[in-house]
Amino acid sequence: MRLRRTLAFSRRALLQFRHDRRTFAFVLIMPLLMILIFGYTFGGDVKGITVEVMNQDAGLTPGSSLLLPDGLFLAKEVTQNLDENVLSLHINTNSEDGRQIVHEGKAWAMIVFPANFTQKFLASIMTPDTIPSPKIEIYLDGSNPTIVAAILKEVTKSVQTTLRELSASLNISEVDMPIAIEQIYAYGGDQTRFIDYFAPGVISFAIMMVTTMITIILFVNERRNGTLQRLLVSPASESEIVVGYALAFAVIGVIQSIVVLVAAILFFGITIVGNIFLALVVILLLAFGHQGLGILLSAGAKNELQAIQFIPLILFPSILLAGLFWPIESIPSYLQPLSYLIPLRYGIDAERSIMLRGWGVGEIWVDIGILVLFAVLTLSASVLLLKRRN
Amino acid sequence: MKVTCPSCGLVGKVMFDRLFDASAKVVEIHDLTKAFGKFTAVDSLNLTIFKGEIYGLLGPNGSGKTTIIKMLCGLLRPTAGSAKIFGHPIPYKSIMNQIGYMPQDTAIYLDNTVHENLLFFGGIYGMPKNQLEKKEREMLAFVNLKDWRDSLVSTLSGGMKHRLSLACSLIHEPTLVFLDEPTVGVDPELRATFWGYFESLAQKGITVIITTHYMDEADHCTRVGLLRQGHLIADGRPGELKEKTRTRSLEEAFLFLTGRKQS
Repeated sequence: MRLRRTLAFSRRALLQFRHDRRTFAFVLIMPLLMILIFGYTFGGDVKGITVEVMNQDAGLTPGSSLLLPDGLFLAKEVTQNLDENVLSLHINTNSEDGRQIVHEGKAWAMIVFPANFTQKFLASIMTPDTIPSPKIEIYLDGSNPTIVAAILKEVTKSVQTTLRELSASLNISEVDMPIAIEQIYAYGGDQTRFIDYFAPGVISFAIMMVTTMITIILFVNERRNGTLQRLLVSPASESEIVVGYALAFAVIGVIQSIVVLVAAILFFGITIVGNIFLALVVILLLAFGHQGLGILLSAGAKNELQAIQFIPLILFPSILLAGLFWPIESIPSYLQPLSYLIPLRYGIDAERSIMLRGWGVGEIWVDIGILVLFAVLTLSASVLLLKRRN
Repeated sequence: MKVTCPSCGLVGKVMFDRLFDASAKVVEIHDLTKAFGKFTAVDSLNLTIFKGEIYGLLGPNGSGKTTIIKMLCGLLRPTAGSAKIFGHPIPYKSIMNQIGYMPQDTAIYLDNTVHENLLFFGGIYGMPKNQLEKKEREMLAFVNLKDWRDSLVSTLSGGMKHRLSLACSLIHEPTLVFLDEPTVGVDPELRATFWGYFESLAQKGITVIITTHYMDEADHCTRVGLLRQGHLIADGRPGELKEKTRTRSLEEAFLFLTGRKQS
C-alpha cells in the first residue's frame, strides 16, 4: 500500500465535499438539528406539572409538645420543599372537589396530607414498633408514565429533604426516621438531564447515518459513472481505495463530532467527564465500520434512488434497538437480543460511558473490541467485493 | 498537393499507413473467450498488436468489443484463453502503470474541478507533485481546457467532459491506451479533433487500442479487426481489407464479409 496513492483518494473525496455544499451541509446540519430539536422539545425533563395540594394536616401548635417547643406543620414543610419548577402547585382548601380536578384533567395529581399527619409522624418516631408511619396520599392521572414518575420523584425528594432538616432540630439521627432513602450517585446525579444522556447517542447516530449514506451514494456513483473502472485499471489497489476513503471519512467524522459537541456545550451546557480523545476514537471506529457497510450495500443499488431505499433499513433498527432514546432495558425482553446485532449499540454505549461516567479503555474494552471487529470485517469484505471480477 | 494513398489508392486523400514496430509485441491474445451464462460475447479470439499501432476493434453494438477491452484491462475474467500485455500474463498489477483506460462512460468526478480530476488521476498512479504539475499543464494544452482548469466538471459541456476524460486517461504517460468507444455521441468536429489526438499519440510510439462502430473512422487506424457476434471475421490494414473484398469503404467490406453484400 502506497501512501501517496492512498492520500489521492482522501484528498479528492474531501475536495468533492468542499464543492458539494449541500452534502456538506447535510453532514453538519442533520446532527445539529437533531440535537437542537430533541434537546429543546424532547427534553425528557418535564416542567410545570399542575398538581393540587390538599393539606388537612392540623400540625402541632407551638408549646404543645416538649420535643418540639416551636411546633411543627410537617405537611407545610414538605409542600414548601417541592420544586416549583417541576410542579406547578395549587393549594386546595376545599376538601371535596380535589379528586374531581384530576378527573377533569385540570391537574395531573392531587397530593393529600391527612389530618393527623404531623402527630402520626411524631408518634411513629417515639414508638416505631407499634405506630405505623404516616401516609401521603397521591391521587394520580396515570395516563402519562413520564409525568407520574416525575411527580413521585419530586414528592420523595421533598420528603427526604424535609426529614433531613428535621433530624437536625429533633436531635435524632436520620437512621431513626420513619422514611429514609438516601440517593448516592455513582455517576451523574440529580443534575443529569435527558440532553446529557442524549448527546453522546446523537453523535454516534449522526456519524453512523452520514457515513453509511454518503458511502452508499459515493460508491453507487463510482460504479455508475465508470470512475470505479478507471480506478480498478490503475495500479492503486482495492485496499488503497478503501483506506483512502476511510481517511476522508475520519476527517469528516472528527469535524462533525466537534461541531455537535460544541453546539451541545454552548446550547445545553452538557457535561463531559471523560476523555474526549477516546470519545473521538470510538466515533472513528463507528465511521470505519459503517463505511465498510456502505460499500457492501452499494453493490445492491443501481442508482441513487435505490440507494435511498436503504435509509429506513438502517434508520429504524438503529433508532429503536440501539438505545438512542430509550434504555435498551425498556425494549421488550424478546427483542433485546436483537440489539446486540446493531453495531451502533456499542458505539452509543461506549460514548455514554466515556462522556457521562468518565470511563476509560479498561471499562469499555468490550464495546471497543466489537467495534474494531465490525470495522475490520466490513472493510475487508468491501476490499474483497471490489476485487471480485466476473 | 496531390497525393496518392499507398493503401487505398485514392488520389487526393492523405492516408498513409503509419509505421509501427512489428518486432515489439504489446498485446498477445490467445483463444480468448468470454461467456456470460449461455451467451458467448467473445469467442476464441487470437490477435497480436504491436508497439505504436492504432488498432481499431470495429463492429456493431454487441459484437464483443467492450468485453475484449475489459478483459485486457483486467475488469472481466476470461472464461477461457489467455492474454499477455508487455509479455506478462494478465492480470498483472505492475504493468498497470503503463496502461491508460478511457471507459465508455465519461468516468470523471462531476463534483470536482478539472484540475482536481487531473491531479487525482495522476495521484493514483503515484506521480510526484512537480512531475504531475508539469504533466497537467501539458494535458490541459493538449485537450484545450486551459481556461477551464478551475471549473467544476458538472458545469462543462459534453464535449469538454469528453476531452477531460481523455486527458485523465493519459496524464500518467501510459505507453498502451485502451479507448472504449471514445467517439460515441461526439459531434463530427470533436471526432476529427480526437482522431488528431490519437494520431499524435501513435507518433510518440504509444500503442492505441480503440473500439468504434463508426466504420469511416477506422481508416485512421493502422490495423482494424472486424468483429461480429464475438468472432473476429477479419484483421488487417484498412487498405488490405478493402482490396481483398474489392470494396471502397470499410463499411462495404464489413457487409461483404458478413455475406450481406456482394462486391
